[in-house]
Amino acid sequence: MKVKSLAVVIAAGVAAAWFVVTPIQAHHAFAAEFDADQPITLRGAVTRVEWINPHTWIHITVKSADGKSTEWMIEGGTPNTLLRRGVDKNSLPAGTEIVVDGYRAKNGSNRANGRDITLPNGRKLFVGSSGTGAPTDGRDAGEK
Amino acid sequence: MTNRYARFAGAVIVVSGMLALAPADAAAQSSSAARAKPAPRAWTPPKTPWGEPDLQGVYSNKTITPFERPAEFAGKAELTGEETAELERRVADRSADKRDAKGTDSDVSRAYNEFWWDRGTKVTTNRSSLIIDPADGRVPPLTPEAQRRAEEEWRQPIYRGGGANGRGADWTTDRSLFERCITRGLPGAMSPTAYNNNYRIVQSPGYVAIQIEMLGGARLIPTSGGAHVHGSLRQYMGDSRGHWEGSTLVVETTNFTNRTLYRGAAENLTLVERFTRVDPDTLEYQFTVTDPTTFVRPWTASVPYLRTDEQLFEYACHEGNYGMEGILSGARVEEAK
Repeated sequence: MKVKSLAVVIAAGVAAAWFVVTPIQAHHAFAAEFDADQPITLRGAVTRVEWINPHTWIHITVKSADGKSTEWMIEGGTPNTLLRRGVDKNSLPAGTEIVVDGYRAKNGSNRANGRDITLPNGRKLFVGSSGTGAPTDGRDAGEK
Repeated sequence: MTNRYARFAGAVIVVSGMLALAPADAAAQSSSAARAKPAPRAWTPPKTPWGEPDLQGVYSNKTITPFERPAEFAGKAELTGEETAELERRVADRSADKRDAKGTDSDVSRAYNEFWWDRGTKVTTNRSSLIIDPADGRVPPLTPEAQRRAEEEWRQPIYRGGGANGRGADWTTDRSLFERCITRGLPGAMSPTAYNNNYRIVQSPGYVAIQIEMLGGARLIPTSGGAHVHGSLRQYMGDSRGHWEGSTLVVETTNFTNRTLYRGAAENLTLVERFTRVDPDTLEYQFTVTDPTTFVRPWTASVPYLRTDEQLFEYACHEGNYGMEGILSGARVEEAK
């Protein structure tokens, strides 16, 4: 049932502390919220961005081949960090086409986490913003 | 005495009449705690116009320095330049966003690419661990009593752990107080995490306030010492009393609740923090954890808080905590399978 080992309990008391060479984990349990068995790639146009804490939510409209539209919500990072990266609520105006690579919500709703977000021209969203020191991941044109 | 507490938080005012009954054992316990004194230094920290050491400013404590000394550095308290460069290279490698295998829980747990995180890329000390006492740089073992408690932890009515490690998702109380946007407790709230590692210190005569970006909120610490509130008053952030020792602000906090765990310690924790400006841009933050019901001996960590030009932003964590809904509803779907 809910019996947890000593190690788990102690680890739980300290998680969210230091993330050195250990696996990284979010403030929220993404593995409980999103389904590892449902990786998903979505292409759509931004309709609005909820600039809220703890995490931003990007709303997009996805059109299927038969022309049917579906609304999706994409979970992003905290606005606080994005502001420090030079990104604000105007950085993704309505109509911006994006590609989302993430995992669908376990509850079956049209929600996913925005593990990677890419502009259709191949530019990774936000990566390469001036002076951010943001990492590259090989997805952008010209990256290794 | 009444006047001293008049400016303090409402809850404390309510119980100030009980101060005479405050237990003395907490202070006695902390006196045995190890206190690593900073090396003598030429730089003299400035003072406020009213004559107290001036700690004010905005600081960040993000760091990649390991909290506990990794096995690979056993017996080695300080790292060479090459070794710190190697640590930073490893983190940079992580930041290069090599995905864990797609379709694994570990990949989902990483949530986003590194762009969304702000956990630091540099060591902030040449020490091999933030823990400075005991000498092995490791958290001391749990007492047998604490080990027994840990085995019974699952019987607790609420989940008392931290991070994003819930013990299930029957209801919100199975999730951590951090995940629920309530608190990280102490010293959790003073410890670096994945982002929002910023703190603003402001002072007025007799008080130091520490605004904490992650989860928001501020600590209001009287610097005139005084006894702790009565032991029956318990708070997530405990009851903090400060005093100056030279240029160092020393804060002792007791009266924690039994609803949070810090590495297994809860209501019997006595936390002693020491804030010292060691150069114009560095506030050395030391904390000593003392809880004889949990650890076989007290232990101390030292975390550099580096001055930054950042502004603090509000982190109204609960307002859009859709994640909680997603976790609970996701669990219902899993159950139905």
